[in-house]
Amino acid sequence: MIYLDNAATTYPKPQSVQRAVTEAFRRYGANPGRAGHSMAMAASEEIYRCRSAAADFFHAQGPECVAFTLNCTHAVNYVLKGLLRPGDHVVISCLEHNAVVRPVHALAENGVTFTEARVFPGDNDATVNAFRDAIQENTKLVLCTHASNVWGIRLPVGRIAALAHQYGIPMAVDSAQSAGVLPIHMEEDGIDYLCAAGHKGLYGPMGTGMLITSHGSGLATVIEGGTGTESMMPEQPSGMPERLESGTQNMPGIAGLRAGIEFVKKRGPEKIFLHEIRLLRSLHAALSSMEGVVLYTPAPDPKYFAPVLSFNLAGLPSETVGRELSRYGVAVRAGLHCAPAAHRFMGTLEIGAVRVCPSAFSTMADINGLIAALKKIRMKNYERMH
Amino acid sequence: MGKPVIVIGSVTYAMKGRSILARYGIRSSVERIYRSTNVRGCGYGIYAPQRTDEAERILRREGIPVSGRTTRGPRS
Repeated sequence: MIYLDNAATTYPKPQSVQRAVTEAFRRYGANPGRAGHSMAMAASEEIYRCRSAAADFFHAQGPECVAFTLNCTHAVNYVLKGLLRPGDHVVISCLEHNAVVRPVHALAENGVTFTEARVFPGDNDATVNAFRDAIQENTKLVLCTHASNVWGIRLPVGRIAALAHQYGIPMAVDSAQSAGVLPIHMEEDGIDYLCAAGHKGLYGPMGTGMLITSHGSGLATVIEGGTGTESMMPEQPSGMPERLESGTQNMPGIAGLRAGIEFVKKRGPEKIFLHEIRLLRSLHAALSSMEGVVLYTPAPDPKYFAPVLSFNLAGLPSETVGRELSRYGVAVRAGLHCAPAAHRFMGTLEIGAVRVCPSAFSTMADINGLIAALKKIRMKNYERMH
Repeated sequence: MGKPVIVIGSVTYAMKGRSILARYGIRSSVERIYRSTNVRGCGYGIYAPQRTDEAERILRREGIPVSGRTTRGPRS
């Protein structure tokens, strides 16, 4: 199989990740952060190694700033619902995934208002201005994606954070598509809340994510429960990371995530990024010269794009193309990608698009295989396309 | 007299504290603390058999939330 659905979940996982997960079942089979026996302590040490690796990778203040979540969606929910109250306003972008849009709409039913700032691909000044225009007196949070999960369009999150801070507003970033792919420096970029997926560009197992913040103690909790600390008290502990981590942790997943972060660090995130961009630029060039292909974005310029490319074959529903590609052994994601806002922005809300996203393991042969399959699909559906 | 353990609460902060103390050449280990009069329930602490007072001062200075002292033992 040619796997190009890495924007959803990276596959395959590095050998080191697979080994770490297996090892965790063997060596860390007890609850971390609970008991004091040797296996529980060993499990706690492994969790701590992952926290330290993540804090170091994203330049967070320390390992205590890393709270493990099930995925990026959970982290986003923790921020939005932990910070916003009736009467508050939040600024998001026009390219958000439903991970942001849906909790914001749920909050809107309880008196929170929001504004979608327009993004201008390739013009960061205009994008920042749009965010400035969206800020209101009661804005309590700016939250936006770092890179569109459909179009790969990058948002200048460092500049947006600087703008938000001018008004005393905290900045949260949904880095589902960028963590492990684009450089993220929480301190330099001024990111107060970083929401990350573990199973995408960080090559960890599914069911892993993180909320990284030094402001976690100030968040109202969405979930309360056992933390292994302050057990006499009925209130949720205020300290991080326990405040945001109730119940037993995903020990094997976190062990795998640690190995994934180390894999990315060792290989070099910039090297991985440029490799993926190079593959997509080749694909873009091939698709540009192929009759009947509808492209929505220019050849991905690394300054403005993450390695995600979506397109359509004229006259064919994106889902049909996705299904046909699957028959040829090519795995992509077709449809709306849980991001109707991003499709509305590009005028593809009715038809969706076919999304391609390579990984560190993708090759030029994979891209050529995709192009060959698309040519066959085009030939087969010639009449429908004309 | 039991051996003093610096009560931290969070296992994460306890491990961070251990790393900090190592930088100062103070050997320590992280231990589970069960119910104690010093803490609000179970949690974790740092056992630093030598230079304990200095260790506690360093931890406080470095922002580790120290909540007191207890003594080492299975149900201290």
